[in-house]
Amino acid sequence: MSNGGATHYLTAPLRWLARAADVPLRAWQRMTGQGGMIALFLLPNMAIFSIFVLIPLGMNALYSTTGGVEFFLADRPYVGGEHYARLMDCENYLEPRSCRDDMFWIAVWNTARFVIFQVGVMTLVAMITALILNRAIPAKAFWRAVFFFPVLLSPVVVGLIWRWILQRQGLANLAMFEMGLEPVNWLTDRFWAFFAAVGVSVWAHMGFYTLILLAGLQAIPRDLYEAAEMDGTPPFRVFYRITLPLLMPNLLVVLVLALIRAVQIFDEAYVLTGGGPGTSTMFMTQYIYESGFANLLRNPGLAAAASILMALVLVVLTLCQLWLSRRAGGDR
Amino acid sequence: MGAIELENIHKSFGAVDVIKDVSLNIPEGELTVFVGPSGCGKSTLLRLISGLDQPTSGRILIDGQDVTRRSAADRGLAMVFQSYALYPHMSVRQNMAFGLENTRMPRAEIASRIEEAARLLEIDPLLDRRPGQLSGGQRQRVAIGRAIVREPTAFLLDEPLSNLDAELRGTMRAELAALHGRLGKTMIYVTHDQIEAMTLADRIVVLRGGVVEQVDTPLNLFNAPANRFVAGFIGAPKMNFLPRPDGRTMGIRPQHLRLGEGGLPVTVDMAENLGAETLIHGRSEDGHTLLAMVPGQVTPERGDVLSLQYDEADAHYFGEDGLRQ
Ligand SMILES: Nc1ncnc2c1ncn2[C@@H]1O[C@H](COP(=O)(O)OP(=O)(O)OP(=O)(O)O)[C@@H](O)[C@H]1O
Ligand SMILES: [Mg+2]
Repeated sequence: MSNGGATHYLTAPLRWLARAADVPLRAWQRMTGQGGMIALFLLPNMAIFSIFVLIPLGMNALYSTTGGVEFFLADRPYVGGEHYARLMDCENYLEPRSCRDDMFWIAVWNTARFVIFQVGVMTLVAMITALILNRAIPAKAFWRAVFFFPVLLSPVVVGLIWRWILQRQGLANLAMFEMGLEPVNWLTDRFWAFFAAVGVSVWAHMGFYTLILLAGLQAIPRDLYEAAEMDGTPPFRVFYRITLPLLMPNLLVVLVLALIRAVQIFDEAYVLTGGGPGTSTMFMTQYIYESGFANLLRNPGLAAAASILMALVLVVLTLCQLWLSRRAGGDR
Repeated sequence: MGAIELENIHKSFGAVDVIKDVSLNIPEGELTVFVGPSGCGKSTLLRLISGLDQPTSGRILIDGQDVTRRSAADRGLAMVFQSYALYPHMSVRQNMAFGLENTRMPRAEIASRIEEAARLLEIDPLLDRRPGQLSGGQRQRVAIGRAIVREPTAFLLDEPLSNLDAELRGTMRAELAALHGRLGKTMIYVTHDQIEAMTLADRIVVLRGGVVEQVDTPLNLFNAPANRFVAGFIGAPKMNFLPRPDGRTMGIRPQHLRLGEGGLPVTVDMAENLGAETLIHGRSEDGHTLLAMVPGQVTPERGDVLSLQYDEADAHYFGEDGLRQ
């Protein structure tokens, strides 16, 4: 017990705290019983959840029905559903220019396009990566780490890294120059900027989904494949008839989780392109952020209304996810 | 059709030699059982025959043809796995059809084969269920059915009954024996249960540590075990071994000991009455444990000294090298 002394002094404040709390805690339990104790221990968590989630949610709903540029609710006049009416006021929803708030609809369609490409490409790439990692390849743990590493990076770091690589005089163009290729305006060309946002987002998140799919692949019993081998089943038929159906629960979870996250795309794309060039990579969350806080003519009420519409989409997707995971849980 | 020959088969996983120079002749139409303690290489040997694994050296011949380098699918064998390996997302019918569909067989032919196998195994009411909706015994039948529809030249079964409870195992064992009689196909059956081996086999291959210890009919193995290991492994309860002054070991089966004057004096430790017979656990004069299975109900007390007789014809003698003499 050579460090007994040090431990003794280090834990002294904790012991003091425990002793100090003992009397009031016992008094509380005597007064309220076990239910009261449970409530007491839940209180800190519920308080934090309320302050940062529940109350802002309600306030956001209130903001969406008030107008003006003031931030204090008391200073804001009630306008009812005016913001919602403005957002939904459109001759043709597919044509943002025909809408009263064209920026909102540009953001909606940009986001929709992003979600389709990002989720599609990422699921495919994650699937292929998982299939490769599931084979007996050398340095498997290393490759698994390589693909998972970007998941641990902060989105801002991801955005910055790729901006340095893709900007006009960045690494990508340097490499292309060295190979004798024409440089490409990765971030300032409408077409390339959109796909740069998709690609960077795929790179940043696919490791997580690869891991989910890999876990699913490893849960498929080996002897099913051996039975198929005895029958001389061609590899693609093994994939379609055995691997894919048995991986379906994992694949659905991946799809829905990826959808939910793609709809909320903001930080890495904002750092990467700032929404540009023009409005070609401006997504929903950026629209909300800018119309609420950043624009010269800020309109917090409009931003609140837009965020509620986006929340509705997310609620539907989340319910899908809950339903799927419950169904998968029931199967086992 | 269906004679299988192994010539000097070796198999190592890395530095570990699992199968060491195994040569075997498995005659066509016979039911051959691989038996041996856990880890002796039974499954490995079966997988080498199936083509799921490749031997490190040696040759495998089926009906005289060298199939060593042929893929599992091209050997015309069907395997029944210990875990059944049924596709959980397919119905029983789809499970049975899956392998046939690879061969571009006409649909009508597939359907009639499934129907025939289902009738044979009495699983026709289950055809549209998923494996998850079947009992263990039913799954077992489906796994066998899936092998039958392929009409293989030989069946390979790796401990097919080990996941069933004792009663069902008995029934299925009898059914498998009947099935083998009806199909008349070569079967290789892996088990570590020597009762299964004794009751099912035309011929038993006793393995230990990747080496074949003896190959013979069940009764020959029982009556004339080639060495001490086989003698101890085949037969239940296990054979008693008593060292002799000349360095040899005498083996005598518990069933061959009986109460009677002038025999071996044995001090009783415990007696188990099974009704029809009594198991007497005891100790010989020089302290070796001994088990006797005597007919009828006897109730000796702990510490009693009994005299146990045997016929010299039932005694086995093994030299210091363990071989039968
Ligand atoms: N893929 C492998 N890699 C390394 N060693 C293996 C491999 N497969 C089997 N072995 C080893 O080979 C030996 C024989 O294994 P095998 O599965 O054939 O035994 P078995 O006789 O079927 O045993 P059981 O009765 O327990 O099924 C064991 O010691 C096992 O550890
Ligand atoms: Mg085995």
